[in-house]
Amino acid sequence: MITAQQLTKRYGNRTAVSDLSFTVRPGTVTGFLGPNGAGKSTTMRMILGLDSPTRGRATIGDRAYAAHPAPLREVGALLEARSVHPGRTAYHHLMTLAHTHGIPRSRVEHVLDLTGLTDAAHRRIKGFSLGMGQRLGIAAALLGDPATVILDEPVNGLDPEGVLWIRTLLKSLAAQGRTVFVSSHLMSEMALTAEHLVIIGRGRLLADTTVADFIRESGAGTVKVVTPEATTLAGLLSGPGVDITRDTPGTLLIHGTDAEHIGRTAATHGIPLFELTPSAASLEEAFMELTRDAVEFAATVEGAAA
Amino acid sequence: MTTTATTPTRPNTADRTTPDITPRRVLRSEWHKLWTLRSTWITLALTVVLTVGVGVAITATYESGGGDSDMDAVLLVLLGMQFTQITIGVLGILVTAGEYSTGMIRSSLTVVPRRLPVLWSKAAVLGAVAFTVVLATNFVTFPLAQAFLSDTDQSASLGDPGVVRALVGNAAGLALLGVLALGIGSLIRSVPGSIGVLIGAVMILPEVLAILPYEVTDAVVRHLPAQALMSLTHAQPAPDIASPGSALLSLVLWAAATLATAALLLKRRDV
Repeated sequence: MITAQQLTKRYGNRTAVSDLSFTVRPGTVTGFLGPNGAGKSTTMRMILGLDSPTRGRATIGDRAYAAHPAPLREVGALLEARSVHPGRTAYHHLMTLAHTHGIPRSRVEHVLDLTGLTDAAHRRIKGFSLGMGQRLGIAAALLGDPATVILDEPVNGLDPEGVLWIRTLLKSLAAQGRTVFVSSHLMSEMALTAEHLVIIGRGRLLADTTVADFIRESGAGTVKVVTPEATTLAGLLSGPGVDITRDTPGTLLIHGTDAEHIGRTAATHGIPLFELTPSAASLEEAFMELTRDAVEFAATVEGAAA
Repeated sequence: MTTTATTPTRPNTADRTTPDITPRRVLRSEWHKLWTLRSTWITLALTVVLTVGVGVAITATYESGGGDSDMDAVLLVLLGMQFTQITIGVLGILVTAGEYSTGMIRSSLTVVPRRLPVLWSKAAVLGAVAFTVVLATNFVTFPLAQAFLSDTDQSASLGDPGVVRALVGNAAGLALLGVLALGIGSLIRSVPGSIGVLIGAVMILPEVLAILPYEVTDAVVRHLPAQALMSLTHAQPAPDIASPGSALLSLVLWAAATLATAALLLKRRDV
C-alpha cells in the first residue's frame, strides 16, 4: 500500500506537484495518468525518497520507503530516466544491486530469465536497445521479490510483444496480492491494464477513480447518424441534455440519447437513415477533456488532438 | 528475444529471514561495482605502469652529482606519482561522479535509500584498493629502480632508515588523495567538472600560493594534499617539508572534511 499525503514539490517558483493525496491499494493495478510534465515522475521519485517533498509525505506500508530495513523487498522500482552504468553487463548490474540485500545469484538469473534477458546477460548495457533497457529495469524492479512495484512509463520503447508482456506481468503481479503502481501518459494503455486510476495534471489530483467509473462518467457515448434530412431530425431530437453537432452535411453526431430512441424517432417521422452508429466515448478523448486545462504545453496537445 | 510470461514467485530461500541491508553487504556491492567496470582496470593499470615506468626511466639515466643528487632516495624513485595522483584521482571521481553522469546513482540510492552507507562503502573500497595496488607497485618499483642506482650517490636499500615508511606513506597518501577526489566527485556530480576541480584546487592552487611572498602561505602550502603526499614520500627529513606525521594527519583531515561535506549534501540534495 502506497499513501501520499499532501505531497508538494516546488523547484524555485515552479510547483511540480501540489498537495497531492491518494492511496494505492494492493491486489489491483493502479494507473498513474497525466500528460507529460504533470508531475508523475516527480511523485514517484518522492515516494522512493530520491526527491524530498517540499511539504507532505509518502509512505509504503506503515513507514517512509527509506525507513524499511530491506527496501528492495518492499518496493521494486523502474524509473523513467536511465539508471544504469552502460559499461557494466546486465548480469553485473543486477548483481551489484542484489549484493546490498544479500540476494543470491540464483534470483538474479531468475529475473534475467523472467524478462527474457538471459541471452544478453553478459553483454554490456551500452549495446542494449530501448526495449532491452526497459526489460533490464523491470528485472531490477522484480529483484527483491517486492510487495509493491512502481513502474514509471514501463511500455516506453517496447515492441507490441513487449507491451503485451508488460500487461500480463502487471496483472499477474497484482493477482498475487502485490501493490502495482504504474504511470503512463496514454489513457488507452491504462484502460487495458489498470483497474484503478489516479489522474493528475499540473501536479494536482484530477481524479481518483476506477477505470469502469471513469468510462461511465466520461459520457453515455455518441451516436453517428447519416440522413438526407439532417436538419429535420436534429430538430426532432433536440431537447435538454441532448447535444447535436453537424459533421459533414447530412451527418449528425448526437450525444445524450441512444441509438434506439433516434431510430424510433426517425421511423415515426418517416426519415430515412443511411447510417446509425453508436460509439463508446473514446477514453483518450475523455482523458484529454479532463486534463485540457492542466496540460503543461497546451498548444502541442490541442494541436495533436485536433 | 524470448519472452517468458511466467509468474514471478516469491523465493522461499533461507536468506529471506535476513534480507536487510547491512554495511558488509553494501561494501560487497561497491566492491563488485568497482571491478565490473573497465575504467577501474585501465586507471589502475596506468597507475602501475606510470610508477614503474617513470621510476625506471629516471633511475636508468641517473648520473651521480647531477641535478637530482640532493633529492630524497624514495622520492626520486617514485616521481611517477606526479601522474599517478591524477590516475588515482580520476578513479576516485569515476566511482562517485561516474554514477551521476550515467544515472546509475538513481539505482544505487533507490536500493540503499539511507544513502550514506553507499558513500562510506565507496570510500572504503577505493581507499583499500588504491592503497594495496600502490603499495605493491612501490615495493616492486623501489628495488627495480635501485638496480640502476647501485653505483651512484643515490644507492639505497629497503633496510635504510625511513625507506619502508616512505614507500608505505606514499601509498597511504595516494589512497587518501583518491578518497578526497571521490568526495569531490560526489559534490560536483560531473566527471569533467570534478577533474577540473581536482587539478585546479589540488595541483595548481598550491603552485600559485607558493609564489606569494608570505611566510604563512608556505606553512599552509606544505599541508595541502599534493605537498603532504610529497612529504610522505620522503625517507629522510628535509628542511622545507612537513613531518611525516603532520603530513599524514593533513591528508586524513583533507579527505575526511571533503567526505563529510559530500555526506552532508548527499543526505540533503535530491538525486
